[in-house]
Amino acid sequence: MSDRSEADRLQQETWLQRTIRRPEMGAFIVMIVIIVALTWASSGKAFNALGLKNNIQIIAQYGIIAIGAAALMIAGEFDLSIGSMIGFAGMSMALMLKWGLPFGLGEATPLAAFLATLVMTLTFGWIIGNIVVRSGLSSFIVTLAFLFFLRGVTEVAFRLINQSTQVSGLEDFKEDSWVAWIFGGEVFGWFYDAWFWIGQRFVDMGYGRTDQWFTLGGNLNRRGEQWVDGFDARFFWFILLAAVAMFIMNRTQLGNWIYATGDNKEAARANGVPVNRVKIGLFMFTAFCATLFAACQVFENNTSDAAKGNLMELFAIAIAVVGGTLMTGGFGSILGVVFGAITVGLVANAVFFIPEIDGAWFRVFLGAILLAAVFANERIRKRITGGI
Amino acid sequence: MATPYLKVENLVKRFGPFTALGGVDLEVYPGEVHALLGDNGAGKSTLIKTLAGVHQPTEGQIYIEGKPVKFRSPRDASSAGIGTVYQDLALNQLMSVTRNFFMGRELKSSLGRLRMDEMNQIAHDEMKKIGIDFSDPTQAVGTMSGGQRQTLAIARAIYFGAKVLILDEPTSALGQKQQMGVLKTMMRVRNRGDIAIIFITHNEIHSKLVADRFTFLALGKVIGAGSKETLEGDEIRRLMAGGANLGDLAAELDEVRAEA
Ligand SMILES: Nc1ncnc2c1ncn2[C@@H]1O[C@H](COP(=O)(O)OP(=O)(O)O)[C@@H](O)[C@H]1O
Ligand SMILES: [Mg+2]
Repeated sequence: MSDRSEADRLQQETWLQRTIRRPEMGAFIVMIVIIVALTWASSGKAFNALGLKNNIQIIAQYGIIAIGAAALMIAGEFDLSIGSMIGFAGMSMALMLKWGLPFGLGEATPLAAFLATLVMTLTFGWIIGNIVVRSGLSSFIVTLAFLFFLRGVTEVAFRLINQSTQVSGLEDFKEDSWVAWIFGGEVFGWFYDAWFWIGQRFVDMGYGRTDQWFTLGGNLNRRGEQWVDGFDARFFWFILLAAVAMFIMNRTQLGNWIYATGDNKEAARANGVPVNRVKIGLFMFTAFCATLFAACQVFENNTSDAAKGNLMELFAIAIAVVGGTLMTGGFGSILGVVFGAITVGLVANAVFFIPEIDGAWFRVFLGAILLAAVFANERIRKRITGGI
Repeated sequence: MATPYLKVENLVKRFGPFTALGGVDLEVYPGEVHALLGDNGAGKSTLIKTLAGVHQPTEGQIYIEGKPVKFRSPRDASSAGIGTVYQDLALNQLMSVTRNFFMGRELKSSLGRLRMDEMNQIAHDEMKKIGIDFSDPTQAVGTMSGGQRQTLAIARAIYFGAKVLILDEPTSALGQKQQMGVLKTMMRVRNRGDIAIIFITHNEIHSKLVADRFTFLALGKVIGAGSKETLEGDEIRRLMAGGANLGDLAAELDEVRAEA
């Protein structure tokens, strides 16, 4: 009789094996490949001063909503209303800024417009969540209903209040409202200042010319001054949201509850996890992400229209999947979603840096990588659950 | 004899017109394995669900350490020390051993942060105490064998204060070797002396191997009960078959054969 036990049969993994098996590994490798390919194909232009700013703009936009979508998917639900929620929130803020607060409460400050909108979107998130957990219906169909409903409400409200489905030429609130500024202003100016300063030293010493991307190229206006002097404020929000979400998912009790809810909600419930509250909270979180997305858009450009956010729910879900989130819930990583957002954002923008290619290749690429990711994620799931 | 930790008197449970339990008495003592046996549909699961606070009894009384209690929810029952390990074990496959062990009852510090190192240590130690030395508590539960999962669910129930451990057919879905593993685990828990185990099973051999006391259910009623010493082997077999003698059964089968 041997004294071997069950536990001995499990091979101890090395640090390297463990790292390779992490859920975000696939997304990480694809991201690196895309960065290298894009740098090469655009002769570095994709990452010169302006290129970097533009890329980060779209990456942050995708990232903000994909983090919300991923957290909800990990808890086992979908939200197809994200895009329409963006449209609704943008409409709400723009109309209030232009026509004043509802019920004759007077002019709207950016703060009042944002908060009043947030109250509405969070309420919608709460309603969606309650319908899903109480009815037991698939969130796919419930949120599909809200996709149509909210988009319709947005258009109707535009026409009734504004006579037109767009608001443009709002005053630039960033000038004297810090609220407008934190959503629509510029951040991390020091990064570009430092880059410019270093570049200038190189030029002074006679190394390189000003049109080289890594020195001053792309960052000089016609008068030879620094041109790009910061990232969009949404970059800050993206980083903050990603950091907070990562912390919550990996390190807190709430994170454990979110994973438990998505994995097997009956098991979670039997152990005292408040499954319904977790789900409702996450539907409110996706609504929050959509509102943040819209606030950055409105205060950056001082415009909004009824088509804002169209299809964004699908990009959010696609990026969550590319980032390693399981469609069936219970598994996924925010870091992977960040990698996914970088990958998809870079490819979406690639046409601007490589004018020879047809922009529609972006969707071909996204479709292909999405399919590949679904298969890869399914393999991971089978490996963990022993192929059931 | 010491007082029973859990005592049930004349428990009746009706689902509408259907009487699932028709007046059941049961006593379970710390440090003992109490086998609850009976055919499919006898009412075993209904009985333990009532003990676990999932169902409320229609009539009858439950006592904990002699005091009458009423469980309105599973939470009530578990805070009274009743730990139930259901057949599906209430585990999440994709999550780690530790995260499953503490699911819903995580140890946390400020901001809801998990005390992960401490939790890993506890999960490892508690499982080791009852039989498996699972070196890596960050491993996903999906990679564990059925017996290991059973051990995890049992260790979890004990750690969170179970004084009565209810195991619903813990051996039925396992292979031979793992069945023995679970029986060993049960014996280790029994040897602690402070925990009563209610062991639900179909398996006569398993029950005879570990049980100190037996209760047989048939059609919602207790048809026999007693300690290991008072019940003979044949008696156990007869009660297992719902009170019929094997000889009677053979006669019935012969009748059917004759009809052909
Ligand atoms: N919730 C319920 N509603 C109606 N009948 C039930 C319910 N739960 C169990 N029963 C019935 O009670 C009887 C006993 O079931 P159960 O306790 O599951 O038996 P066992 O676990 O011994 O196989 C069965 O006939 C079953 O159909
Ligand atoms: Mg049963």
